[in-house]
Amino acid sequence: MLKDKEFWLVAGGISLAFIIYWLSGYPLFKEERIVMFLVIVIMSANLIYYTRFARRGGEIFLRAIPGLKAVEEAVGRSTEMGKSVLYVPGIMDMDQVETVAGVIILGHVSKMTSRYETSLNVPVSRSIVMKAARETVREAYTMEGRPDLFQDDMVHYITDDQFAYAAGVNGIMVREKPAACLYMGKFFAESLILAETGNSIGAIQIAGTASQSQIPFFVTACDYTLIGEEFFAASAYLSQTPELMGGLKGQDMMKAGVTTAILISLLMRILFDLGLIKWNIISILTVQ
Amino acid sequence: MIWKRQIPILIATVIGFATLFGWFIDHPGIESFVNDDATQWYDILASFAIFLGALNLMKLQGKKVFKQQSGWQYSLFAIGGFFFAIVAGFIYKGNDAVEWGVHVTSKGTLFKWMFDYMFTPLSATMFALLAFFVASASYRAFRVRNLEATLLLVSGIIIMVGRVPLGSSISSWFIMYLMVLIVSIAVNIKLKDKKITFSTFLGGVLIVTIWGSSLGWPIDQPGLFYLPILQDWIYNNPNVAGARAIMIGIGLGIFATSIRYILGIEKSYIGE
Repeated sequence: MLKDKEFWLVAGGISLAFIIYWLSGYPLFKEERIVMFLVIVIMSANLIYYTRFARRGGEIFLRAIPGLKAVEEAVGRSTEMGKSVLYVPGIMDMDQVETVAGVIILGHVSKMTSRYETSLNVPVSRSIVMKAARETVREAYTMEGRPDLFQDDMVHYITDDQFAYAAGVNGIMVREKPAACLYMGKFFAESLILAETGNSIGAIQIAGTASQSQIPFFVTACDYTLIGEEFFAASAYLSQTPELMGGLKGQDMMKAGVTTAILISLLMRILFDLGLIKWNIISILTVQ
Repeated sequence: MIWKRQIPILIATVIGFATLFGWFIDHPGIESFVNDDATQWYDILASFAIFLGALNLMKLQGKKVFKQQSGWQYSLFAIGGFFFAIVAGFIYKGNDAVEWGVHVTSKGTLFKWMFDYMFTPLSATMFALLAFFVASASYRAFRVRNLEATLLLVSGIIIMVGRVPLGSSISSWFIMYLMVLIVSIAVNIKLKDKKITFSTFLGGVLIVTIWGSSLGWPIDQPGLFYLPILQDWIYNNPNVAGARAIMIGIGLGIFATSIRYILGIEKSYIGE
């Protein structure tokens, strides 16, 4: 992270360069996408501001998220029962941000399992996810000072096929009966097959996904569900790192901004439909 | 340390910025990178990585068989299936009239036979299990425990009945009589007074009967109580409003996570 003086120098330099570029006729820039560009710049600036604010010691309030508080409880339960923790990072590859978020949360979960000396089982459905998850778990065990507990086979590949993977994970659940099942990533129709099987073996289940159509299934079958943005907040919540917590505050401010923009747009559209103004806001908000 | 920390962060930052801002730049080279090349790089990497996955699978299943760990018999099927697929895909076509390559989709080949008569039925079996899981999950979700669960139950029934032909045969007046009954039960539970309950029930029945008689009992009027219209309203209004709220949160979460990666704020992926 840059210091204040360096940060403002870099930010000022980039802004100046962009102003010069714009005044020179903005060659190669897709003019019709300027609104989207400005929104991205403003949102990014907002995130950077709150990240720096948190890093300087600014107070950030983080509301309690029961699903995330329950992660440690789930690992503790597995330890007490002498059973393993099953972690499913979704069925998609690392090009999906949900899978990336799932692998990040796996890092935090594996820190807990290493502290409690609980066995961890991570069946995956993509080879690249296997490599990424394995490195994440290895780093977590090393950072906790327990590299001796780490084994390559903790993270293992099953298959790329959706239902074959579901069958494989169900088999593990039924045979090994893990005390805790965590589903964090991108899921499709197999979500309910996994969660109901986990429910039938009496495991404590925590799910987190941004796959909107699967959220109801997880809510029904799991003890706790991280819905949408809560899932992306998990890394900050579990690590309690000021920079990441600042990012969450920035995210909330963005949400407030989006809500305000929706209300203003609604009002302006009503005025346009009534013929009181001649400018249709939808024309600039539509992505070109 | 530089190879495990700074270089990965630099790669993530440069490629992240290139793909994000490439969307705003009108240049065929950059557009081609963003839309095609970057994803093709990923596909090439993933294709090679499949060997890692296959090796890992064979290593684990082989270990189970050799050490005769619990459930080692299942591993025999996994290993057998793996080698059978390799033989059918690369060694034995089963139909000499078909060229290599197209044999995976052509009739009369071993691979196609395996796909049609082993893989597809097994996948369909797993998918079909979903019906039973939906039933058991619905049973738990629809149990009347509190106000939210009751709302879920009522909405679920309205949507399910309103979407089948039977729903359009149920008169809106029948639903109104049903609502009078439900309101009377609620009044009885809340006030525990038989006179008030009876008055509410009688009053409701009279109002609905007089109203229905005056309009000639049209099956779909008033539309608010006609199930196909009611389910359509629930599906397109409260449901869409809730779904969009979640979508906005997800969108902002994805954006914030991506920016944290691009700017190097989030470094969990390299173990920090």
